[in-house]
Amino acid sequence: MSISPARVPDGFRRLTEASGFAAANGPWFEKIEDGRAIRGFLPGPQHANALGIVHGGMLAAFLDSAMGTAVWHTLKRRAVTLRLSIDYLGPGRIGDWLQAEGEVVGHDEHVVQVRGRLYGRRHDVLAGLGVFSLLSRHRQL
Amino acid sequence: MLEAPLIEDCAPAGFLKIDFAHGRPEPTFNSHIGNLYVKRGDKGTRDEFVMGFRVHQHMCNPAGGLHGGMMMTVADLVGAMGGGTLAGLRKFLPTVNMTFDFVAPAKVGDWVEGRAELVRATRSLLFTNIYLTVGEDKILRASSICKIPSGDGLAFGKAKLVREDAKP
Repeated sequence: MSISPARVPDGFRRLTEASGFAAANGPWFEKIEDGRAIRGFLPGPQHANALGIVHGGMLAAFLDSAMGTAVWHTLKRRAVTLRLSIDYLGPGRIGDWLQAEGEVVGHDEHVVQVRGRLYGRRHDVLAGLGVFSLLSRHRQL
Repeated sequence: MLEAPLIEDCAPAGFLKIDFAHGRPEPTFNSHIGNLYVKRGDKGTRDEFVMGFRVHQHMCNPAGGLHGGMMMTVADLVGAMGGGTLAGLRKFLPTVNMTFDFVAPAKVGDWVEGRAELVRATRSLLFTNIYLTVGEDKILRASSICKIPSGDGLAFGKAKLVREDAKP
């Protein structure tokens, strides 16, 4: 699906390094604001469920990516998800810009706790709490 | 947008492809992510409802493993469709909460199966546990709470099973 640039808010950069699942379900965008990484995407028909709103699995995947990015921006360490708990608060609508961000709330050498939020222009869509496992500083993905 | 699949699904015997796009002008997320299959077994058995899919490159993360987003999507569907089936509900069940534990990775070519365990159904809520497995190995543990809409709610989507795909 082509995205008209006018519908992507100012300051967002298209993530071009995506591959596999993220590329097939993108494009995804990111901006850094006050040291926080914020991710955004514009849901299309390919993201819809049987009700015509954004599929819960797509929302979960997108929030997970934003929370993982928050770990990278805060700790400069790569991490993989160990556990993610998500509350579905409201629907995401097709054609309405959505964004997500994470906040590191605690960590030790091995695991990091992250709070996440996915929201539209006027309402919250998901609240998340995740535990991520930090990868070795030397490990290549 | 999706790369041509390099491998065939080769679903094991008994699995039928789910046609989520049936009667719809455009493919939705459930068909966009790749082919999903269902096998139905005898009532009350472990295999009463099994969802399955073959892992392709377009379902993977940059490290080459099955993407967590794909696991979560399928677990969500197993919780709502599988849990709903076990509870005898034929309605669309909106998800209220899901918790996922990423126990092990999966790789391209693996056949992944998802099963739900009905924990409890109240008048308005459905609690299920879900496991995704590759062979005997668990790769994802999830727990789900779905809302059961009052009245008839919305029909169970328009998905239907593609009988022609049935292997002898």
